Amino acid sequence: MRFPWSGAGLNPVFASPPEEAGVSEVRTDEAAICPPVGQSLHVTPLLQEGDSVARGAAVACLRHHPEVRFAAPVAGRVARISLLPGRKLSEIVLYSDPGDAAERHDTSATNNDAGLRRLMQAAGFWPRLRRRPFGGMPAPEEVPFAVVVMATDTRPGAPDPRAAIEGQEDAFAHGLEALAHLSQGPVIVCAPSDAAEGWHLLSDQRARVVPRGPRHPQGAAGICVHRLCPAGLDAPVWDLHAEDVAALGALLATGVLPMTRLVRIGGAALRTARTVRTHPGADLRELTQRLVVPGPHELISGSALDGRPARWLAPRHRQITVLPTSRDVRPTHWLTAALRRPGLGTPAIPTAALNQAFGAALPAAPFVRALGAGDDESAMRLGLLSLLEEDVALADYVLGEGGRLSAQLGAMLDRIRTEFAA
Amino acid sequence: MTRGMWTRETVALMLLAAYLPLALFWAWHGGAEALGRFALAAVIVAVWHVVFLLARAQAPSLSGMIVALAVAMLAPEDLGVIRLALGLSFGVVLGELVFGGWGRNVVHPATVTLSFLGFGFPAFAWPGFDAPVAWAAIPAALIGIATGTMPAAVLAGAAGLGAAALLLGAVPQAVLFAACIVLVLLVADPVASAATTPGRWVNGALYAALVILFARGWAGAAPAQIAVSAALLTSLVAPLLDEAALALWTARRKGRHGRT
Repeated sequence: MRFPWSGAGLNPVFASPPEEAGVSEVRTDEAAICPPVGQSLHVTPLLQEGDSVARGAAVACLRHHPEVRFAAPVAGRVARISLLPGRKLSEIVLYSDPGDAAERHDTSATNNDAGLRRLMQAAGFWPRLRRRPFGGMPAPEEVPFAVVVMATDTRPGAPDPRAAIEGQEDAFAHGLEALAHLSQGPVIVCAPSDAAEGWHLLSDQRARVVPRGPRHPQGAAGICVHRLCPAGLDAPVWDLHAEDVAALGALLATGVLPMTRLVRIGGAALRTARTVRTHPGADLRELTQRLVVPGPHELISGSALDGRPARWLAPRHRQITVLPTSRDVRPTHWLTAALRRPGLGTPAIPTAALNQAFGAALPAAPFVRALGAGDDESAMRLGLLSLLEEDVALADYVLGEGGRLSAQLGAMLDRIRTEFAA
Repeated sequence: MTRGMWTRETVALMLLAAYLPLALFWAWHGGAEALGRFALAAVIVAVWHVVFLLARAQAPSLSGMIVALAVAMLAPEDLGVIRLALGLSFGVVLGELVFGGWGRNVVHPATVTLSFLGFGFPAFAWPGFDAPVAWAAIPAALIGIATGTMPAAVLAGAAGLGAAALLLGAVPQAVLFAACIVLVLLVADPVASAATTPGRWVNGALYAALVILFARGWAGAAPAQIAVSAALLTSLVAPLLDEAALALWTARRKGRHGRT
């Protein structure tokens, strides 16, 4: 039961069968390295097809920053390297081997900023960071204004980050400490409000815990960044998941980057929902094979709000949604089509629902109007630079827009980035 | 693709549901003549929506029924078909449809229509309201607030100042009745009112203040005329209130974070 005073936001309910108890460890036979949703990466492959690779070993690097590498999520052989024109990464598929050879990195030089960065970039940790404004991984030498660690996730059906880092509290604290070295500002841990205590923190008080409510956009990284330390053109803010902070701690302690990720599988086309501990780039078909109800369905990496149909578990995603698809495609009458898809989309009406969809964190109606009108300056004034597409996914859902707000926000961010770069 | 329900038409339907008690009591008291006026207004509005659908591929909206209801309830009496059609066409086309339909308009089309009719044909008497019709504005406001379609802050701002005026005996009862009906029908429209919470409070309070001012100082004005004039001026000021609220918001954030 949610009480009215548990803060602004909404908890949309998506049908999902009851969850099987317990967490099983799954390593899929195939795994892939793919770019984050909506980003394109120019890469140089470091291996050939058919080469064998250890878990955590470098498979590719960024073309313009060769020190930033992409690590193999499983030990195995390189099956296929497919690049798009311009050597943009499409996917690098690996066959996993039964053995579990892991790449060990040298951690002796990590007591200074440069050494720490070098280790994070060489071990393939760098792509797990995300910067705001504009999203994507930060430049190799970028110093963040603040780092936001998401230890809460309010997306419908998301796994609890506390379960993901259970038993790794020391590694988590170690990771926070390392992040504080990289940042010139605070390290903010956003935690569920019912468990704000009991976090292992830094001794020098650079890290602080901020309680966040249980309703959706309150645990969205963009809304947290907007509330706590807004990102600006010259003030980048990084955000990352608590599980990745624990992985960073483990990397610093042992030299091996853990490639595990707690993933929840849910959705209306399943017989049972499940939580599994798997690896980035896992094969969604294999993970859901024995769980889906017979019939046409769609595999979505991410939540029902912001996910995309995919074959592989996308970077940063910790949710798999399986939705039934209907084959029932009837031709619509031209008048019905004209009424449903007018020349200019129908405008958003400023209601309480719209305000809640933004967690009451910003003036929702002026922001949506600025997005619709393409008014970059007003949108920036209202906090556009802290947000990414996934943060307005709830508003898109609530307004029944089918992704129009996300598309407008993405286009506006692209335009601002080009103008800013020029 | 799963979608939420708060599209423009859902909001229009919820607003219509909120206005249902008001409309029922008004039809009960007005009888067949009232219903005939509503039907005429609805037909005129619908025709213009269809014209804009065909000419500019602009989706028609059920909000047209709200406009028809407000005009039928508040327009001066015995205008005749031609004058009503002229006023409604002016209000609906120039107040709403040329801007791109409901949601992109600046003022409520019914407010434009009523001001046009009131100032254009001053010889016709404004309607008065019985107590049951005015009381029905309260459930309308409650449904609107519960569904989140009417801005609660506008209603609260107006109700707060209105209650104070009532205690001091500053407004006559007839003005109060008309002001309540105009408040839920025209002022508490989610599009034409201010869009930020502080702006909405001021918006509601400003409406109440203008009603009090006109009731005290405008000799010879009818209660409905007072309320409609106050609604028109308030909705013209609403963007300014929003701008001020946003400036305050950004200034506070600049102070706290150093940037917005």
